[in-house]
Amino acid sequence: MALRLTVNGETHSLDIEADTPLLWVLRDELGLPGTKFGCGAGLCGACTVHLNGQPVRSCSTPVEMAADGEVTTIEGLGSGDRLHALQQAWIDHGVPQCGYCQSGQIMSAAHLLATNPSPARDEIVAAMTGNLCRCGTYSRIIAAVESVAAGEKPAQEEA
Amino acid sequence: MAMNRRDFLKVGAGASGSLMLSLSLPGCSGLPTGYEQETGEWRPDAWLEITRDDRIYFTLARVEMGQGTYTGLTTLIAEELEVAPGAIEPRFAPVADEYKNPLYKLQLTGGSTSLATSWEPLRTAGAEAREMLIRAAAGVWRVDAKECSASEGRVIHPNGIDSMRYGQLVELASKEILRGDVALKPAAEWKYIGKQNRRLDARAKSTGKAVYGIDVSLPDMVYAVVTRSPRYGGKVQSFNGDEVRAMAGVLEVMEIDRGVAIVADKYWRARKAQDALKVQWNFSEAIDLSTPEVFETYRKAADEDAGESERSEGDTESVLANADKVVEAEYSQPYLAHATLEPMNATAWYRNDHMEIWAPTQAPDLGRIAVARVTDLAPNEVTINTTFLGGGFGRRLTQDYIEEAAAVAFRMDRPVKVIWSREEDARHDLYRPAMLHRMKAGLNKGELSGWDHQIVGPQILNWYVRNAGPAQFPWTPKFLYNTLGKVGVWAEGIATPKDISAIEGAIEYPYQVANIDIRHTHIDPGVPITWWRSVGYSHNGFAVETFMDELAHEAGQDPYQFRRRLLANEPRHREVLDRAARLGGWDTPVPEGRARGIALMRSFGTYVAQVVEAGLEEGSIRVYKVAAAVDCGQVVNPAIVVDQIEGGILFGLTAALYGEITLEQGEVQQSNFHDYPLLRQYERPEVEVEIVDSTETPTGVGEPGVPPVIPALGNALFALTGKRQRTLPLKADA
Repeated sequence: MALRLTVNGETHSLDIEADTPLLWVLRDELGLPGTKFGCGAGLCGACTVHLNGQPVRSCSTPVEMAADGEVTTIEGLGSGDRLHALQQAWIDHGVPQCGYCQSGQIMSAAHLLATNPSPARDEIVAAMTGNLCRCGTYSRIIAAVESVAAGEKPAQEEA
Repeated sequence: MAMNRRDFLKVGAGASGSLMLSLSLPGCSGLPTGYEQETGEWRPDAWLEITRDDRIYFTLARVEMGQGTYTGLTTLIAEELEVAPGAIEPRFAPVADEYKNPLYKLQLTGGSTSLATSWEPLRTAGAEAREMLIRAAAGVWRVDAKECSASEGRVIHPNGIDSMRYGQLVELASKEILRGDVALKPAAEWKYIGKQNRRLDARAKSTGKAVYGIDVSLPDMVYAVVTRSPRYGGKVQSFNGDEVRAMAGVLEVMEIDRGVAIVADKYWRARKAQDALKVQWNFSEAIDLSTPEVFETYRKAADEDAGESERSEGDTESVLANADKVVEAEYSQPYLAHATLEPMNATAWYRNDHMEIWAPTQAPDLGRIAVARVTDLAPNEVTINTTFLGGGFGRRLTQDYIEEAAAVAFRMDRPVKVIWSREEDARHDLYRPAMLHRMKAGLNKGELSGWDHQIVGPQILNWYVRNAGPAQFPWTPKFLYNTLGKVGVWAEGIATPKDISAIEGAIEYPYQVANIDIRHTHIDPGVPITWWRSVGYSHNGFAVETFMDELAHEAGQDPYQFRRRLLANEPRHREVLDRAARLGGWDTPVPEGRARGIALMRSFGTYVAQVVEAGLEEGSIRVYKVAAAVDCGQVVNPAIVVDQIEGGILFGLTAALYGEITLEQGEVQQSNFHDYPLLRQYERPEVEVEIVDSTETPTGVGEPGVPPVIPALGNALFALTGKRQRTLPLKADA
């Protein structure tokens, strides 16, 4: 089917089978591989993107459900060359190990802070529980989110 | 590691006038490289390259799968080269002899060996380059090189004012002769080793820009999915290829060694076509067993065969026969999947009689053999490009996914990316072996008098040699891959002279006892197996450290003190045990409804002790706190050490609480994260890691965090409930 999709502010016209998961459209049709395939069943959160401001699991969101919608991926989270505060915090706190789940982790955290700028520890944990990390970076994720929520200045030094 | 530095350092001017310092890692010089010499193929070395415009490239020969080589090894080069680690651009190494892991004689990242094997060679390479740059500058200034210094990518004039950039000096430096006598900086002068805490890959991995295997994109690339036998060993008999070929987007349906591949223009179309594929399997050589039979087979083998002696001191049999008290227990552990978050995948492009592969692999030279095996190509007609790995944990030592991509691409005229689904990843993994342990110990007046441990299960190397042998000896004729490959491996000695995967963690039993008998009864039920983060230490650690806990209770002693007294001659073990006990508040009251357990294991040269505080909440096991003390010798990056130990703890907890792959008539029953769960954020315990200050040669930290946490948690649950659990995963209602 033909549909329009706005991704990271850019509108695309696509002719694609309606049941194709949004994930594969982003990765393979639009060249945005930052969003990852982990489980295909909405269980791990690696594919998390924002659709009309809400976090969705793009691996199990048929692209037709995103038609005419606005999608934000990890590539579009910052503004231009400026990183989102969470991305900077992820770097400053050295969160990623293998890094594969981190796009999804950051997208979940970004939605949390967009709706609740000063979350309590429990709220962060609850919001991040849908995102699996096999390397075990969970404690640094919490520290990074809390540092942004607390308005800590990012480190000047770049990795 | 003693070596003549002249033997492994070579210098040359690059085509573009850059200084290229190549280093052959120790252990490689005797390796035959016949086929490459015959074809005259240029063989790149491991090298540091500095360009005229001050770019510094470092070829990273140990893959980055989260464990931190990208940062840690770069830090070693940076320290001696006198540049900030962040000023160096690491590149992933191609396949070449110089990049082989000297311990394995294979280009392999595993066994927590990267730092230990790179510690001296990489610092030396950095130092040699620095000295050549200094001598070049001294020549320009006509001053004594000894009076010059280097700092932040510049050589500084003796007057302390003038300086020259490395880039300005590379051409002159490349004419300098390697002297092989460079002194490494003393620890007191280190700027980055032991202090560098940032990860050099954090930015790429926080912006979606890091390229994993699954992200590789090539012109005209198509996608393939593979349907494999639901039971290991099954062969394709027939399939409805014509029907599937007619489906939207499908370009090809083909039988390959590992199943039936569907190639389509889009991944999702290949997946949809797969739903319509019907394969008739020939199961005559397929496995047919169910999990209970695996353990019945093990028990029968254990009854019939006492096993090969792996360590024997004193006279354990008679000591146990005469002991005041004999304690016996049987432990077992299930098969475990790796569940890397990036599913298996590989991209292959066959053109001009050459196969190029892009893949997240822990062993690119084995990947090359896997390609040669399924095509008409020789290993030197195969190029492997390694990407970032979305987790490894041992899974990516096996090259089956590369083999599939190559087999399909060999018959296509376009690049092909093979992607596994999560379900395929779970069902067609090679598993951490299921194991059985029979333990027996004697106590005389509360003192340990004898220790008997019978380990029952398979050896991993048998599943590995088919590619490892030819990778060590790439000129092996293909028809001999399976036979000579094995001989070659044994002759050369992969990993160690023998496969210790089944017995590691048992044979190093550190506690003082005069009579000890450790045996391995080899039995392989035919379920595919491989290495898995900490491997043998993960199952032997559970058996040994749980049984130690049982003995302490039988002897009426505190489990910490019981261990401690038996470690009088093992100061590093004792130190981490003491520190973990202190950090975990062993001697302080436990909050109501909780209990503590302790365990200790030295693995891969690193000593780790842990205290776990756990309880039961709403019918589930709840882990509140894990305190860990670690001695890994000299620390290069303290943050990465903490991360790896904590990551290992969560990995171990996932195994302890949930990990179980089961078989029913040969079919794996688990498929995705609902039935093979991983620890989630809300289950994360508070983890504290204390690092012992040490100047010993650094040892690895990727795996050693895993083993102690499993028995420590079991021991805590025993302290809480009084019920001993001897099989994994642990249950709340045991």
